[in-house]
Amino acid sequence: MMRLRLVTWIVAGIFLLLGVGLLNLEVIHGRAYRELGNRNCIRLVSQDGSRGRITDRQGQVIADSRLSYDLMLLPQDEAQKEKIILSASRILLKNARDLSSAFNNGYISSSIPVTIARNIGLKEAIALDELKVDLPAIIVQANPLRHYPQGKLASHVLGYVSEIDRWRLTKLEDYGYKTKDIVGFGGVEEKYDYYLRQEEGGISFEVDHRGKFIRTLGFKPPLNGKDIQLTLNIKIQKIAEDYLSGRKGCVIIMDPYTGEIFAMASSPAFKPEAFAEKNNSAISSLLNNSNSPLMNRAVSAACAPASVFKLVVASAALENKKINLNTSFVCQGSTLIGRREFKCWNTHGAQNLQEAITHSCDVFFYKTGLLVGPQGIHDYALKLGFARTSGFELPYEVPGFIPSPLWRKINKFKNWFDGDTANMSIGQGEVLVTPLQVTRMLAVFANGGYLVTPYIVKAIDGRDLSAYQRKSERVHLRKGTIDAIKEDLKSVVSSPSGTANVLASLPVSVAGKTGTAQAPPRQAHAWFTGFFPSKNPKFVICVFLEHGGPGYVSCVVAKQIIQEMNNQGLI
Amino acid sequence: MRNSFFIILIIALLICSLGVLSIYSSTYQKEGSLWQTVFQRQLLWIILGLLLFSIVSNMSYRRFWDWTYFLYLAALFFLFLVFLLGTTRLGAQRWLRFGWFNFQPSELAKLAMAIFLARYFSRKSSDDIELSCSKFGVFSAVILPFFFTAIPLSMIIEQPDLGSGVILMLLFISMLYLTRVRLRYIIILLASVILPLPFMWHFLRDYQKDRLLVFLNPNIDPLGAGYTVIQSKIAIGSGAFFGKGWLSGTQSQLHFLPESHTDFIFATFCEEWGFLGGAALLLLYFLLIRQGFLIAQRTQDAFGKLLAFGITLMLSIQVAVNVAMNLGLAPVVGIPLPLMSYGGSSILVTFIALGILVNIDKTRAVF
Repeated sequence: MMRLRLVTWIVAGIFLLLGVGLLNLEVIHGRAYRELGNRNCIRLVSQDGSRGRITDRQGQVIADSRLSYDLMLLPQDEAQKEKIILSASRILLKNARDLSSAFNNGYISSSIPVTIARNIGLKEAIALDELKVDLPAIIVQANPLRHYPQGKLASHVLGYVSEIDRWRLTKLEDYGYKTKDIVGFGGVEEKYDYYLRQEEGGISFEVDHRGKFIRTLGFKPPLNGKDIQLTLNIKIQKIAEDYLSGRKGCVIIMDPYTGEIFAMASSPAFKPEAFAEKNNSAISSLLNNSNSPLMNRAVSAACAPASVFKLVVASAALENKKINLNTSFVCQGSTLIGRREFKCWNTHGAQNLQEAITHSCDVFFYKTGLLVGPQGIHDYALKLGFARTSGFELPYEVPGFIPSPLWRKINKFKNWFDGDTANMSIGQGEVLVTPLQVTRMLAVFANGGYLVTPYIVKAIDGRDLSAYQRKSERVHLRKGTIDAIKEDLKSVVSSPSGTANVLASLPVSVAGKTGTAQAPPRQAHAWFTGFFPSKNPKFVICVFLEHGGPGYVSCVVAKQIIQEMNNQGLI
Repeated sequence: MRNSFFIILIIALLICSLGVLSIYSSTYQKEGSLWQTVFQRQLLWIILGLLLFSIVSNMSYRRFWDWTYFLYLAALFFLFLVFLLGTTRLGAQRWLRFGWFNFQPSELAKLAMAIFLARYFSRKSSDDIELSCSKFGVFSAVILPFFFTAIPLSMIIEQPDLGSGVILMLLFISMLYLTRVRLRYIIILLASVILPLPFMWHFLRDYQKDRLLVFLNPNIDPLGAGYTVIQSKIAIGSGAFFGKGWLSGTQSQLHFLPESHTDFIFATFCEEWGFLGGAALLLLYFLLIRQGFLIAQRTQDAFGKLLAFGITLMLSIQVAVNVAMNLGLAPVVGIPLPLMSYGGSSILVTFIALGILVNIDKTRAVF
């Protein structure tokens, strides 16, 4: 019978279909449903550790964590919600409308608590927590929050912490970073985030369909982040920041032998607390500020070094034996190169190397530069650490730039002229350096010929890192060259006609070089870089003021800083 | 032929014991002494069912020919009684209370209807050896039996128990198809049932509408009507290939899955026994149903043949609809899984049906 067999087949077919349905649900999608099943019955209560502290070299805390209290609301009961918002606005002295708009913005689902006020004080938190008896939907949550006992101090070295952004998340997902994680941005916070970041712990437990606790499945204690000790000296850093007094620019003070950074001040600075507290108006004013307060000028500003660069030309010339210590050129206020007249800032008369450096004579260096040639200057600039990043730890370091005829030919399809060499010889034109590179270059003359790698992290979690730092490398300069230039640098300050003579009145002897980088139409960039005490240098200093005027201005800042350091007995 | 007796008995007992294991697993953590005894009561039902099975299998099925109208009327009577005295559970009035036993007349109505239809379509006229249904006109072939089906059907749907109603309707249509009634009559009937379906929408209860809508998209109301389907799919899916192991199913033990020991016992079972267990269970059901079809094919007697088909189809439709609903492939309708789900009426009626099946096979040699 046809109908009979058809029905039998249909029934068999239906059973086969059910089997396929079962296969689809259990085997093909089994993993996803297992996940959903676990989400049904496993709850996690997370507990956060606190982020590692950042201290200075003496252990003074620059950044640590404090508890902040957030007011959260469990949006299950409409009537309770209204009451809570009313009483919260009374306790927090906030507008009830703001609180309810914060609630509406943050609402996800009726079972997920919504944060309606952040960073409430301890007293308010306690007062709100007491309301819990009548209004059980109130949740006062304590969160560790980044805290800066020193305020703005060393803000660029530290960086700030904020919620992870998309770009970082895609890069760091494999290292256990999740959305909404708090991570470091800029500075030590970003570079050593992996060490600083706390590890989330928590309790996982099983609940039934009403959310009632059944049993604990596991507990993982939260781990605090590792503490980082910096090489910074808070006192020196504070002095440097005070005397920068908000002017655009930066100050670097470094150990000439090891490369330890004692102070790295960049100005204008910012309050890193604004990011931790999610103070949106403060953040947006920082981001929209045309003076870029978030930029660490010590490593990220590349400018013409001007006369500071003459040290490179001088060492190249001495090494290549194009001049000796007695070679002198006559400065008549200007010189003709090709058909163009190149000016000096003054008329110096006959100048040997020492005098030329002391007076920062341009004519001498035009002529010396022409003798050495652009390639020679380029090579020695590279030897002294220019045109490449220094290996310093903080992120966003720029390499700067040193031009050369070959580069010009390849990239600009232009020839190199003697005028370009002359410009390069006084550190103008296309030469770009960072304050950190200049500091490092000066350290070579201070320490007798070693190019150090600057570093700022002294220890992580109590482990001294100095053994792991890159060793300083010998710069192949003759001792005579270094000594001669060192002497010249001393005379820049000590000679009554030296450009940095203003520093001569200090109780400590200082050696150094000024620079005035033309940046028309605005004011010049002011440079001063030096080391002190000049006999046995303990510090290299670099003061850079963006559009700060002539180099003299930087000298004055340096003088104030050194004076204050001396007064506090830090030298 | 004692052979089919043992095959059916063994398969049924296997399914029943898997059912008891699942019932125990889904209830042993629930609070209240009532829950702790659920599996014991199920065991009692199974023993009673076995008793009935052996009695019925030794009692000539021809007696049901004689009892047809009595059974039919009794079913109608009980269904009517539900309206008067029925206990209400889960928003539906489906149960009759006999002392400590809650009886569900719609279960009996299914079996009674299968017997009634089998008798109706296997009548012979006194002067002819051919079955009279091959000469039926549209009235006696379709309209009259439909009328007889529609009486209990409408009473069941009114309870409301859409699931049993749908099963009764499917049983009627498939049994009609297996008789010698002309195909065009069946098509006319199907057309007249299916075409007004869109208009029937307005007569459905709100929760039934919800269930149908939710079947189309369970996510429209995940905490309301769609909850059961979602939880059932999660329970089955999270079993994966090997299952979570007996007594370790979180969905059923932590009450996420409602009705985990009755209508959704398949999900409970699959969560703990995985695809392996689920597929084995489906295979057992298929073997049982195949036995039914084989018996029907072997039987020469028209009434016995049709009755065997009716019983087998009744079982297969219930199994298929229940499993499909557990898998989220059919809307949620309250139908127990025969032999597995907790429930005396379902167990007893299923065992009686199986007993009849065995007896048909045993007595076919007589004719």
